[in-house]
Amino acid sequence: MRKWLIPMLAGIMITAMAYQATLLATPYALMYAALQKIGDRTQPNRFAFSPMSTADNQPIVRPSPDLSYSTCVFDVSNGPVLVDVAPVPGRYWSVSIFDARTDVAAVRSDRDTKGKPARLALMKKGQQAPQGYEPVVVKYDRGLALIRILLASPDEFPAIDAVRRKSTCRQI
Amino acid sequence: MKTWHRYGICIALGLLCGTAFAVQMVRGGLNDGLIAVGPWQTGKSFGTADASALTRAKVSFSGLLALPANEAMYFTADRDSDGRALDGRCSYLVNGGKLDGRWWSITLYEGEGWLVKNAVNRWSIPASAVSIDASGGWSFNVSPRPTPGAWLPTGSVKAFQLTLRLYRPSDFVQTQPDRAQLPTIKLQGCV
Repeated sequence: MRKWLIPMLAGIMITAMAYQATLLATPYALMYAALQKIGDRTQPNRFAFSPMSTADNQPIVRPSPDLSYSTCVFDVSNGPVLVDVAPVPGRYWSVSIFDARTDVAAVRSDRDTKGKPARLALMKKGQQAPQGYEPVVVKYDRGLALIRILLASPDEFPAIDAVRRKSTCRQI
Repeated sequence: MKTWHRYGICIALGLLCGTAFAVQMVRGGLNDGLIAVGPWQTGKSFGTADASALTRAKVSFSGLLALPANEAMYFTADRDSDGRALDGRCSYLVNGGKLDGRWWSITLYEGEGWLVKNAVNRWSIPASAVSIDASGGWSFNVSPRPTPGAWLPTGSVKAFQLTLRLYRPSDFVQTQPDRAQLPTIKLQGCV
């Protein structure tokens, strides 16, 4: 039995390391899969304007059927990416920037902009934001910009869709 | 048995057990037991760099792209107010009052967090869909069959969860979510 003592201690250490490594890798893996899936809908650094979430249309887990989603898979490796979000008067909207680890680098909503457009420059350290854009430094080259707009009813979708398509995501 | 055989067996078992335990923990859903409010559970660090590795992994699995608490809070219930698992073949009354935020909705999910197919294509009850009574209270039914008033269909799934989204929660709810006034979920009967 004594011959097993040290191998078993090694096994316990490996158990703890495998547990922690799996937890650390999971967000990157799932975000990577989401970026690939969403990225299939449009080019990088362009917004994709999704239809409303339904039981037959669930691009990501736990979608809200009350929100319209617009997504831009960004890549700042070749320079800052500018996100201009057209405001939607009289309702909740927000733009959130997620990095490759799923952390939120920034959120700006209608309350923050006081009805004006949100203008964000997504960039990594060392890059410069153009004048008029709020710099948002991200820790990883790739990530996701996500616009949420609240709908009171599905009937509003065509009108909201027309407004949200004025929003842009582009690399300098 | 040679020494390296013993090491090989223990290391392989360690890898298997560590990975399997992590997957089991991550698959446990958003309810990581951090903060409970009646049948609802939530966390303060969703979507932030402060989140633990476990919380971040759970959120990425069951609620990818969740917002931080100053923008939105997510309360999830997979049990009713008496502690029984939510069953899509049963009917429930969800009863609440004014929620301390700008806007709310309650959405029904199955599995890791998927909308459930149903005949009327309704997956959530937003604040605008309920009638507020004189005392500020409201209620709606969660049931496999249509009911009078606001109705959220279960699609007769075996098990489901309700997620309450509270956008722009008050400072009080953000800092003391365990004291938030949230709806009750009461079993009315089963088919």
